[in-house]
Amino acid sequence: MIPLYEASSQFHNWRFSAQNLDQIRSSLNAAAVGVIRNTFEADQPGSSASISFLNPDEELLLVRLYASKIPQLCGFFRFPEEVEATAVSYLKRFYLKNTVMDWHPKNVMLTALFLATKTTNHPIALDAYANNIPKTTPSDVVDLEFLVAQSLGFEFAVWHAHRALWGIWLDLQSLPDAPPDRATSQRDVYEAALKHVRSSRLSDAELIYTPSQIALAALSIADPELASEWSHSKFPSESASIPHLDNTLAAIRALIEAAANPQDVEVVRAVDLRLKICKNPEKVVGSKAYLAKKAEEERKAEEKRTRKAADAPPTEGDPFGDELAGRLVDYDDDDDD
Amino acid sequence: MDAVEKANAERQKRWVKDQKIGEGTYAVVYRGREASSGRQVAIKKIKVGLFKDGLDMSAIREVKYLRELKHQNIIELLDVFSSKTNLNLVLEFLESDLERVIKDRSLVFLPADIKSWMAMTFRGLEFCHRNWILHRDLKPNNLLIASDGQLKIADFGLARDFADPGYKMTCQVITRCVCAAVGYSRDSDINHGWYRPPELLFGSRYYSTAVDIWSVGCIFAELMLRTPYLAGESDMDQLNTIFRALGSPTEQDWPGHTKLPDYVPIGHFTRAPLRDLFTAASVDALNLLTQCLIYEPKKRITAKDALSHAYFFAPPYPSHPSKLPKTSPPVNTTQPLDEIDGNTLSGKNNRKRKLSSSTDETKTRSAVARRLDFTKTTPGS
Ligand SMILES: Nc1ncnc2c1ncn2[C@@H]1O[C@H](COP(=O)(O)OP(=O)(O)O)[C@@H](O)[C@H]1O
Repeated sequence: MIPLYEASSQFHNWRFSAQNLDQIRSSLNAAAVGVIRNTFEADQPGSSASISFLNPDEELLLVRLYASKIPQLCGFFRFPEEVEATAVSYLKRFYLKNTVMDWHPKNVMLTALFLATKTTNHPIALDAYANNIPKTTPSDVVDLEFLVAQSLGFEFAVWHAHRALWGIWLDLQSLPDAPPDRATSQRDVYEAALKHVRSSRLSDAELIYTPSQIALAALSIADPELASEWSHSKFPSESASIPHLDNTLAAIRALIEAAANPQDVEVVRAVDLRLKICKNPEKVVGSKAYLAKKAEEERKAEEKRTRKAADAPPTEGDPFGDELAGRLVDYDDDDDD
Repeated sequence: MDAVEKANAERQKRWVKDQKIGEGTYAVVYRGREASSGRQVAIKKIKVGLFKDGLDMSAIREVKYLRELKHQNIIELLDVFSSKTNLNLVLEFLESDLERVIKDRSLVFLPADIKSWMAMTFRGLEFCHRNWILHRDLKPNNLLIASDGQLKIADFGLARDFADPGYKMTCQVITRCVCAAVGYSRDSDINHGWYRPPELLFGSRYYSTAVDIWSVGCIFAELMLRTPYLAGESDMDQLNTIFRALGSPTEQDWPGHTKLPDYVPIGHFTRAPLRDLFTAASVDALNLLTQCLIYEPKKRITAKDALSHAYFFAPPYPSHPSKLPKTSPPVNTTQPLDEIDGNTLSGKNNRKRKLSSSTDETKTRSAVARRLDFTKTTPGS
């Protein structure tokens, strides 16, 4: 039997090497810069020369800033940790398919969180959600919902490190020579490890490592002995996997520790300011480029409708025949309601 | 075009919609095919624009769970794509369902056939539960039948996961599975009345995999009886119906049930032996049925244990799926659609009425009649 995690969409589609992640982000960034430059040039030749586009690292700074706002919002709404962790995962996954210059992370973050409340079965009414967030309308939230769901490949299930940590913590309490009062006497170790798991959410850890590896790394920061007690109970001591595991844990610890450092607000703010100028005008509702793109889409849709009407098979001359055909075959297909 | 839009357009191109074959509560279902291979599929189109809170919960649940579950006895979700504001789920095409099979009076079921359907149901369900997913809406018309006879659990619109924080992941690193873990419900609409377990009828909000087992027990009984076993006419009558059939629970049968939020004392029925009703069933079959219908949820058999129950190992052995009785394909494409597939409300009820009138079961008939009556209940008319 395949272990469950290894059969999951997360294992198959959302795990990368650090180099992979760099490549993905660089090529998304380069493609976006190319498109936006062309849009500017089409509007006014020479206008793109003075624009300083964001680089992939700068994009990531902004994503991280907005990821760090999710826990605040969740605290306000009293959403459970499951919602918070899922929303952060969605935000990070989104930006492996899209760039910040097309879609501002503030909006995506609000949508990702709203979607996460539903996918984790803690739904909240859209109005109640939007009304409680300053300067946010319901349509700001749902307009992007489809794009976010699509970017996630409609893969909504996420395996989280905080759950793995809870599992490890329960295991530790039931080891044969565990102190009987471990659940209370060492509770602070669990709490400390949980904090590290939370920091890990601001890093790429979950895109590279498994939830249980991250949980174990977090525990090993909080209490290295407890962490090795657990791994020795899982793997026989002569096991070849232990040195390998040690390297993995060290790499995750480095990610967690880096993510725990607060961001330099001034630097991020400067990036956000530059984004106002270099963002894709086609995605700014109401702009000239946006309207041009919509008009083009409308023209194509019209063309498609005309083609479909022309393609419909001729009726047999039976006056009832064509009504029947109309009921059985949905020629309107997706252009209907 | 964005990378995401491009990927979606490519997915969309893989599938061709042919004709509308049915209409569910929140979706229109089309017959379709894979453009490259001609493989038949069902495309379920969900209109997202209909929902004021954005993507609808049933659609989200269905996509979330089917994306993760790949098993021979669970309907396969082949792809998901969007078109304008519609969400399209590409599902394997399944030509019939167990309700249609049960109601087809021209079919004769052998004990080996029933065993085969039960084995497939438990296999699919065990896989759901192993993945910490409760289905919560098992009933014969959610058990679809493929052309090769395989039974597939479908319709995950009410499913949810029930992992206690930690157990899920613990399961990943070690192999401890605690199947008595619980879920917390805020939904009142789960489980179709007749298949709903007594703990939910009493308003229990903490519940487990045992809810699905009860439903399977009802389906098992229905396969033997060829008519719904516990067909109550309302929630209140449902408990009555259950207790009349299985006896009123005592504190010993089901500790704590009188403390459940919606508990009301209901009559004092003594338990009649199941044998009186299930005259042809084997001892093993009755034993398994009894274990599915135990009042105390914790004592109800698990899907995993059911699969190793003696019933499945005693002769007659389960029929090979390809040898199971099959309904004849109902689709005659020259007929108007709503008579073919019951795609409208009236069409659906017509079909049910026609079929159930031939069963001569007053119980079934009165339940159906009651359902059709709702238009006439205006006071004073
Ligand atoms: N996978 C499938 N293969 C073939 N037909 C299907 C499939 N799924 C659904 N259908 C048809 O579409 C109808 C509506 O489906 P669905 O929306 O799932 O129904 P409901 O909301 O009634 O549960 C079904 O009654 C059935 O006739």
